[in-house]
Amino acid sequence: MRETLTRLRYRYWPDHLLGEILSKRWTETAIPVILLLIVGFALSRSLEHFLSPASLADTARQAGEIGFIGLGMALVVIVGGIDLSVGSIFALSDFCALYLLDVLNWPVPAVVVVTMIVGGLLGAVNGVLIGYLRLRAFITTLITLIIYRSAYDLLIQRYSNAIASAFPDIPSWDFIGGGTVLGIPSVALVYIVIAIFGHIFLTRLRPGWHITAIGGSRRSAYNSGIPVRRTIALCYVASGVLTSIGALFFAARLGTVGGDIGVGLEVIVLTATVLGGITLGGGKGSVVKSMVGVLIVLLVTNGLTAMNARGGVNRMALASILLVAAMVDIRWQKNRTRIISKVYVAPTYHALPPPPPTEIGKGGPFEQNDRLRDVSLIGLGRIEAPEDVILDRNDVLYAGSRHGDIVRFFPPDYERMEVFAHIGGQPLGMAFDKEDNLYVCIGGMGLYRIKPDGTVEKATDETNRSIYSVNDDSRLRLADDLDITDDGLIFFSEATVRYEMDEWPVDGLEARGNGRIICYDTKTGTTHTALRGLKFPNGVAVASDGQSILFAETFGCSIKRYWFAGPKKGAVEIVMDNLPGYPDNINLASDGNYWLALVGMRSPSLDLAWKMPGFRRRMAKRVPVDEWLFPNINTGCVVKFNEQGKILESFWDLKGLNHPMITSMREHRGYLYLGGIANNRIGRFKLDNADPNFVQYDKRWGKSS
Amino acid sequence: MIAAISEFANRLLGRGEAAITVPSFDGALKPNQALEQADILFECEAPEDVATDGTSLLIADGVRLIRLSGNSATTVRTFERPISALACLPHGGLAVALGGTEVRLYDNTAAETPATAFSQGLHAVNALAPAADGTLIATDGSSLRGVDDWARDLMELGRNGRVLRLDPKTGAVTQLAGGLGYAFGTVASDGDLLVSESWRHRVISIAPDGSRKDLLRHLPVYPSRLSPARGGGFWLTAFAARTQLVEFVLREPAYRRRMIAEIAPEFWVAPRLRSGDSFKEPLQGAHIKTMGVMKPWAPPRSYGLVIRLGADGLPRTSLHSRADGVNHGIAAAVEFGGDLVMIAKGPGRIIKLPLASLGEEARA
Repeated sequence: MRETLTRLRYRYWPDHLLGEILSKRWTETAIPVILLLIVGFALSRSLEHFLSPASLADTARQAGEIGFIGLGMALVVIVGGIDLSVGSIFALSDFCALYLLDVLNWPVPAVVVVTMIVGGLLGAVNGVLIGYLRLRAFITTLITLIIYRSAYDLLIQRYSNAIASAFPDIPSWDFIGGGTVLGIPSVALVYIVIAIFGHIFLTRLRPGWHITAIGGSRRSAYNSGIPVRRTIALCYVASGVLTSIGALFFAARLGTVGGDIGVGLEVIVLTATVLGGITLGGGKGSVVKSMVGVLIVLLVTNGLTAMNARGGVNRMALASILLVAAMVDIRWQKNRTRIISKVYVAPTYHALPPPPPTEIGKGGPFEQNDRLRDVSLIGLGRIEAPEDVILDRNDVLYAGSRHGDIVRFFPPDYERMEVFAHIGGQPLGMAFDKEDNLYVCIGGMGLYRIKPDGTVEKATDETNRSIYSVNDDSRLRLADDLDITDDGLIFFSEATVRYEMDEWPVDGLEARGNGRIICYDTKTGTTHTALRGLKFPNGVAVASDGQSILFAETFGCSIKRYWFAGPKKGAVEIVMDNLPGYPDNINLASDGNYWLALVGMRSPSLDLAWKMPGFRRRMAKRVPVDEWLFPNINTGCVVKFNEQGKILESFWDLKGLNHPMITSMREHRGYLYLGGIANNRIGRFKLDNADPNFVQYDKRWGKSS
Repeated sequence: MIAAISEFANRLLGRGEAAITVPSFDGALKPNQALEQADILFECEAPEDVATDGTSLLIADGVRLIRLSGNSATTVRTFERPISALACLPHGGLAVALGGTEVRLYDNTAAETPATAFSQGLHAVNALAPAADGTLIATDGSSLRGVDDWARDLMELGRNGRVLRLDPKTGAVTQLAGGLGYAFGTVASDGDLLVSESWRHRVISIAPDGSRKDLLRHLPVYPSRLSPARGGGFWLTAFAARTQLVEFVLREPAYRRRMIAEIAPEFWVAPRLRSGDSFKEPLQGAHIKTMGVMKPWAPPRSYGLVIRLGADGLPRTSLHSRADGVNHGIAAAVEFGGDLVMIAKGPGRIIKLPLASLGEEARA
């Protein structure tokens, strides 16, 4: 009963999504967005006219003006600084625009351009001081805040009357201040255009990446040749220009130069920036975050004003929000990876029936024996981690190594060894195509092709992205084993889409169907996912009908058959399940049956743990990986089976001294060659009653050597 | 209330009592492979305890009592049940515990009938030691599980070990201490009694008035029998080492319950006296043979360890057989002649190391 509940709970509740969602970068934007929606909803319920077009247009105008300043602040904060002088620059730009327009009667385009230049110059003062002279951003902009504000105060003493008495009636100026296009205020439109450009700039253009890089690590950015000083200085210039654009719209809308213009603006903008999720430490942030932050702050302040809160309360609320946002930001940045690593591992319920007996004397096809005891060794101590082995028609033996090489040993004694090709990742399954190209699955890289002359080419490293997957599963993480059909389709397994190759134990701990079978078409060069949701798919072999493949699910302890063509196209059938061990590679035997490596054997303690996901989740959190309960891959065996799912014989090595681990085997001219991913040797075993002329290549491609 | 909340929080976060921390082998417990270099004195099926009367070694091997003098082993006598503890008494006497439930005292090793026999209230007597006042001290590991079923007692968090005083004159059995997490091994020291409390990973000292004191705490192993060492101090054996996985399982009641119910004991996630016999045993991450080698630092499912304690009860030095070794499950160690003779229950061996080879700390 309890077990049924556990099974249902883990079957229908997607535990693994939480970690995947949290590890997405957009979750950091999602939280402010949710906050914005909550604030918006609360206000629309408590204020009557909140959602009226007039009110929305008014909010949009303000949001646009502050939004420009927010964009500037976002740039400066992302590059690792801060700009406190925005309020004063705003005031000076406002004055500049109105002075040029009202007192000097300049034309509007000239006013706009010159105001922006003035804003840029004011920002450039900050930029030079901070970027080139390396002053502290905080103190520098605090000083310019005071200086610019004093300048503004002096200027308005002299000119405020002249400005106030002028009533310019210029349509274009009015359009800037209060015009709409299709009901959308002009300022909001311009803001949207600039915001879209800003997003592309920050995420797609080189200078944007430079800015993020400098904010992330100034020294590394410098070391990689980024012009750090100039970029920083330009960010402050941009902040000044963007602030002056905001001021232009403000000037056009209100046309005043009051003493309190821009006072306290830096707090509002800073609150918006931090609240949007732009980290004060630098290196992280986006345009969307800035926009969301501005909207939240504006809604809160406007909402409070509409509810007749006094100015003091308003500022107090803003300051409190800033404090909380900064606090959350710091804690989140510090603990983000830790939290994700804690929730990412999501074990699920995986029940297997009791395994068939393997003990000597109990009978059955898996009864242990010592037939592999006399395996002779090839390349002992000279090769490391040969997961798969393969022989070509000239009897040359190929194997992968963990140094990222394909090495080969030459007959007759397999003493002479050379590096055939260097790829760089751990080679796993291998197969020859008709043209003697060697296709290799490389853990962490994808499917590669090695031509007979040793040139390495990438076949594929991506497939179609699945719609319902949160993690981007288009890149191949752990291509494992492959086989090639007569039509040149390469079916290969990808063991897991959630973990890297060295993290395979975590996938075993989860015991979820994280893996898939992928098909690469050598004729068209396209890749698509054939099957997904498999429990660590591993060995792949084309079946005798040429229309289906046999594949092993390591942690599913089963062999399945998948039809990719013919009348049963798309069907998946179980060939064998409830194996006593973990199946690995599958290869053809000389008598038409198949060899299967059991890389490890099931232990009752892990079988039980697989039925208790909570136990494994806690184990993952509290026990170091070296002490986890693992699938036992120290002992294994080789079995021969047929397509009907019958085990014909098994080969064991009781002590496992000679060849501890078996991940793969390949029959060739009466011998069985054994590979093991944690071994420093290749095994060679003389088969009785095997065809002494059997060469897999010849049999597969109908040639004879 | 607050205690309950904090206990809940501890369990949730893996802190406090719920922490699975195991102290590292450090200081005097720094690992070596000394036990792997030991000479094999004798191999037998089921060695359980060893004692010496000064002239020869007596070894309990299942139901057989074996005398080892020089290199010749002779079976002194056989009992109807396996011997679970053995002690040589002053004046040539012999005390044996049979099956954990009966203790017999003989005047000499050859005597036909026991001089005294105790059986009342005994359940899992696993060590005997003569006291200075002529009585016999016995540790009784558990009052629920038999001597061979200690792993179940550990997995059930057994807390009912006892220390008993057996008085041969009156035939009385007095309880000196109870509620122990598997009492296993005792030795008299200046009127006090030192007792190994295996499941609490400590050695306690019990004063004549019954008051207890922790002599050695937070051991990374499950301590077992104690014996006096020449020059003051003691030899403390440890029949298994703790691992974080076992500590974790001990804090997982549901898993333990099902494991006890559904899995054969030899395949439990529990310490054992030997390991690596079957692939059905639980395997931990570091156990995976890489390039053909299992690393000695892998978490030990079975381990061999003898600790030399000084007269103050503090560790001076230690002899190890690590995860990749063979001489595991050391349950008893005595000095005999110039050697330290030990019982390795894992491989079924009596092994010896010359004391002279063990360095200064082992002799002082």
